[in-house]
Amino acid sequence: MKRVLGFSFRNADLPPLSFEFGTRRRVLDLPLIAWLTVIWVLLWSTLTWANVLTGLVVSVGVCLAFPLPRVDLGLRLHAWGILRLAGYLFYDMYTSAVKVTRQTLFGLPHRAAVIGVPLRCRSDLMLAATAVAVSNVPGGSIIEVRRATATVFVHVLDADRPEELEAARRQVWRVEELTVRAFGTPDEIARVAEPPPPPQLATGRPAP
Amino acid sequence: MSLWLQIVDTAGAVLLLIGAATCLLGVIGMLRLPDVLSRSHAATKPQTLGMILVLAGVALRLRGGMELATLALIAFFQMLTGPVASHLVARSAYRTGQVDHSELLFDELDEQLTDGK
Repeated sequence: MKRVLGFSFRNADLPPLSFEFGTRRRVLDLPLIAWLTVIWVLLWSTLTWANVLTGLVVSVGVCLAFPLPRVDLGLRLHAWGILRLAGYLFYDMYTSAVKVTRQTLFGLPHRAAVIGVPLRCRSDLMLAATAVAVSNVPGGSIIEVRRATATVFVHVLDADRPEELEAARRQVWRVEELTVRAFGTPDEIARVAEPPPPPQLATGRPAP
Repeated sequence: MSLWLQIVDTAGAVLLLIGAATCLLGVIGMLRLPDVLSRSHAATKPQTLGMILVLAGVALRLRGGMELATLALIAFFQMLTGPVASHLVARSAYRTGQVDHSELLFDELDEQLTDGK
């Protein structure tokens, strides 16, 4: 006979901070419900008990109507890491906007290139977060993400010299490290602390 | 006190103007750059920065706690969704052959798509 109510600290199969209930083993993820409630309150833009309560009801309803697979996404929040990532992204966004602007206004001749950068992190969430962060920096825009080898393919606008390509690669790795340090689990952080794979691997590695 | 308010208001107006100008530059970039992938650079980066500057300008003029949080939420979703959209455009452009491969200096994705599969 199974329990009607199960908590994540008693059952290691469940994602952290969640509980399951009922005979159909529905899982409710508490951080997700809290986040949806915050969005709900912000959309009404007044903090009242009525808004918080209706927000809770709506988010529980949404989580029950559209159930997510019961996996641990591997999302951890590190406040200092998030601040560093935000600072770096904002600075980079500014420099990349200046660079793109210069390219457009003065029409400097340039050759673009598509490079593959192998990443060190392995979890899907970190891969996606890194891809989103890289799109905001001058390194370039993401064309393709290969999940099996954790490789992102980046379009670099200004790639006349080999140093530029190396710089773009290093920048992707730097963003990756900052992203994982902001949101990753401890073993992902340990993985990005290692030096990046050598560039030979970047070009010649076949897809499995 | 009113002097400070005036300074903050002016700073907000200046930020709004700079943000709008940055968005305009993004549009000019879309018109002037040669191909899809270069244009996607112009469409995403100056536009995101311009949007955030406009939001910062609005925040300086509104100055309310809940409004600030709502603006932060808008900036967050903008930064989250913009890259996804640009990635989808770039990916479909690449896969449907809209990219002129002779224009590229080199292309590591092409080898993988032809050999790897």
